[in-house]
Amino acid sequence: MQFRLEKRAEVSRPMLYLTPVAAVIITMIVGAVIFSLLGFNGAIAVREIFLTPLTNSLKWQDLAVKSAPLIIIGVGLSIGFRANVWNIGAEGQYIAGGLAATGVALITHQMSGWWLLPLMGIAGILGGMAWVAVPAFLRVRLNVNEILTTLMLTYVAVQLLNFLVFGPWKSPFSFGQPQTVMFNDDQILPYIIPGTIVQAGAPIAILVAIFAWIMMGRSIFGFQVKTVGTAPDAARHGGFSNRQTVWITLLIGGGLAGLAGMLEVAGPFTRMVPQFPTNYGFTAIIVAFLGRLHPMGVMLAGLVLAISFVGGEVAQTTIGLPNPAVGLFQAMMLFFILAGDVLVRYRVRRVYHKKATGRDSDKKAGAEAGAS
Amino acid sequence: MNIDITIAIIITMVGASTPLLLAALGELVVEKSGVLNLGIEGMMLTGAVVGFAVTFNTGNPWLGIGAAALAGVMVSMLFAVLTLSLASNQVATGLALTIFGTGFSALFGQAYTGKPIALFDSVFPETLTEDRFLRVFFDYSPLVYFSFLMTFLVWWFLQKTRAGLILRAVGENDHSAHSMGYSVTGVRYGAVAFGGAMAGIAGACFPLLLTPQWVEGLTGGRGWIALALVVFAAWRPGRLLAGAYLFGLIATMELYAKAAGGAFRILPSELWASLPYLATIVVLVLISLRRTKNSGAPACLGKPFMPNN
Repeated sequence: MQFRLEKRAEVSRPMLYLTPVAAVIITMIVGAVIFSLLGFNGAIAVREIFLTPLTNSLKWQDLAVKSAPLIIIGVGLSIGFRANVWNIGAEGQYIAGGLAATGVALITHQMSGWWLLPLMGIAGILGGMAWVAVPAFLRVRLNVNEILTTLMLTYVAVQLLNFLVFGPWKSPFSFGQPQTVMFNDDQILPYIIPGTIVQAGAPIAILVAIFAWIMMGRSIFGFQVKTVGTAPDAARHGGFSNRQTVWITLLIGGGLAGLAGMLEVAGPFTRMVPQFPTNYGFTAIIVAFLGRLHPMGVMLAGLVLAISFVGGEVAQTTIGLPNPAVGLFQAMMLFFILAGDVLVRYRVRRVYHKKATGRDSDKKAGAEAGAS
Repeated sequence: MNIDITIAIIITMVGASTPLLLAALGELVVEKSGVLNLGIEGMMLTGAVVGFAVTFNTGNPWLGIGAAALAGVMVSMLFAVLTLSLASNQVATGLALTIFGTGFSALFGQAYTGKPIALFDSVFPETLTEDRFLRVFFDYSPLVYFSFLMTFLVWWFLQKTRAGLILRAVGENDHSAHSMGYSVTGVRYGAVAFGGAMAGIAGACFPLLLTPQWVEGLTGGRGWIALALVVFAAWRPGRLLAGAYLFGLIATMELYAKAAGGAFRILPSELWASLPYLATIVVLVLISLRRTKNSGAPACLGKPFMPNN
């Protein structure tokens, strides 16, 4: 008995929604097996990582804090991915946004007023946009691959961050620590739910996702992005500019990553430090795919990935699971979601043995290669 | 500049270039078969941690390199099954491979942090490796000579052998190759496995040639530079050699800028550290300025192929 894959005429809706759920469940099962083989209690590791953050209400605020940047960046990336624009350097744009916001905070450090935070927010968005503008320009004008340029600029952003916090921005009161001064009270995000550590990032993330949902589903621009991504020729004939789409999707991705950077530096960090890059930009790629590149899906996926981060910390303290294990779980999730993609676009057919003759044997050889 | 410093710079440059060359050679073959594997960095990190662990536990760097190659092949097969058999998106799957390799190496490297191994040094007699001038030819790890040999072999395989011709045909026109009776998927599996082995060995170069210890994320994006090198070289092994050494030199400048002081001191060390990444962007720009139409890229690069659809 053999199987062969047959292309579906249309993507399968049920599979579109079922495969991400299946990916998470399979990750939990395979993860449990792998960590059992490594000498941990696999079942407990999975429970601590994926369930404890949900069942322990003390962890909910951590989920809100961790999922906000993932959702904000993930929404931006998913819009680009929809148009086949591969910005994988969101980490760099996140750093650039954080640095721009820090720059404004340092300049206005002696000032006060409600307008400081919005100004820092705008600076963060512009910082992220500026960082992605170079790859956008190079892609549109010179057809330089954005995958490499966005990624290379991430390494440059890390160096820029180091240069600034070890050099010109280093606080005179930090006893040699590479860090800026702490932002003043008007430059730090307020706690929106009394008694918790939830700041403005969480509601902003929800707003961003809802706004993107409306834009992608209800506007011409959303249609343009999807058409350029799925049928570039049709888009060209329909008068949708490919260049414009690349520019706008990249600026949205960079701007949102920059906004996330601002919300982090003015939120949990309260000052710029070398530890600011926390891989949110890379994890957001997983978030975008797990969320099926749909803003509402991204919101759920951001929560799932936040659960794994928070759960990873739980598992570290309770059963001594090393922290990088979480990264492995997240990568597995991405593998499974990509593997599940095949079920969305193809149908699995059983092939029974027939006497192979002429054309049939060709087909069978193909099927074997396809199913191997 | 005095001759001893020049020789020292050359030797450092060769060390820095070797992993780039090895990884890029592997990716070149992969891309020639029509597959774009963005997971080089992940395969390199996997090779690096496995190569380190085996060398540390056995004391035998040859075993370490073999294990690194094997580990590279194994993780590359994750990519191959997804992209070749399940027709998943190659860009996304390559990224997943990099994320996987980063997590895997961080997890398994933890046990080895701070433990030293011996560098995998030259196997030539000391009269050659310690000679003031001759050391520029002999004071290298066997891996360096291996990278030269592989450059020649990859060129010879692609240009002079029948198998190489089939591999190129698969990358240029998958449907024709299929209708002529060649297994497109099979050839691509082979190419991806080769790329995995080379990336694994390239990763092992970091602990064996450069810093004899385990450091998390020690490849520092070199896998991505290897990817850019393939574009830079227009998919030709000879140019790849030149490109890898150019980048090796740029990466070495950071070290010598620190040591040299003087005029170099004016520029912050962070700028020197960003130089390889900025140079990659500059090189990509130059390539696209020079070649508007024919970049030398295989026609089917990145396109999934399902035999019966």
